Amino acid sequence: MKTFEEKWTAWIDDQLTGRELEEFLASLPDRTAAEAEKQSAKQVGSLLREQAMALSNADFFSHQLRERLDRENAPIRSEADAIQTGWWTIRRLLWGGITSLAVFAICTVVVFREKTPSSQSQYLTQILGAQVDPTVSPNATISMFEKKDDHVTVLWVDGLQSLPPEYAAK
Amino acid sequence: MRPRLLLLIAILSVALSSGGSLPEQTVWSGLIIATNSPPIEPTPAEVTQIEGTLRKLFGYSQFQLIGEARKTLKTGEEDWLASSKYFSLHVDSRGEKADAYVLNLKLFQEQKLLLETKARLSKASPLIIRGPQVGDGQLVIVLIVQ
Repeated sequence: MKTFEEKWTAWIDDQLTGRELEEFLASLPDRTAAEAEKQSAKQVGSLLREQAMALSNADFFSHQLRERLDRENAPIRSEADAIQTGWWTIRRLLWGGITSLAVFAICTVVVFREKTPSSQSQYLTQILGAQVDPTVSPNATISMFEKKDDHVTVLWVDGLQSLPPEYAAK
Repeated sequence: MRPRLLLLIAILSVALSSGGSLPEQTVWSGLIIATNSPPIEPTPAEVTQIEGTLRKLFGYSQFQLIGEARKTLKTGEEDWLASSKYFSLHVDSRGEKADAYVLNLKLFQEQKLLLETKARLSKASPLIIRGPQVGDGQLVIVLIVQ
């Protein structure tokens, strides 16, 4: 059995006939107002049909409509969120810079440390000065030289007082 | 944020402090009697590496160790004594410079100062000092950074 709304829609669309139409018209409380409403609905229907003909690219408009709905339904990011995101980015940049500097400093130190001994270890020992007590060893003479082949430096002292063999004791 | 910053500072500090100075090294100082008499003891290991040089320099074939000292330098400013019964060598390290130690050396015969010298002892180059004649041999002083 049809409801009142279904019968109303069918009546607007001129789908009701015979006894069903008579019963429906009898059930209307104000027939004049109902007829006016029916006319109004028919006018709106014909207007919509005319407009639908003008919309030749329905898919495009449908897509536009969906996009607009998505934009309107998307959560609005607050200003505070935007600022926080900005701060995170700056902080990460800062950390990136600091870390890069630290890595550079460590690499520099390591390279410098590895390079220095090998380049300087080739130096021979140097004698900066030497002396004997002239009162103890008046005839002593000092000479110094480097034996580059053997990579040694020699301090050669002549004229020190000779000592007996017992001085070789441990 | 703070723990990460502290960790970074710690890593940098360790890297910089370890790179600024020489690692700990040992200086060997020996009092040696060079002779041509038959060997009584085997040549000490420290002398073996420069035995050929000593033979060429002094013309002796045997080297007997009569006194030695081995000092590990931590600050580079330490002093020590290598001594035998009659001789002693006082070494005063005055710091390190360009992979070498600046040393003040004093050779004593008992209480008597025989020789005083200052040298920059390089890691790659031993220092050899010709001392007084002892019997039919020669006192030789050797310093090596090990």
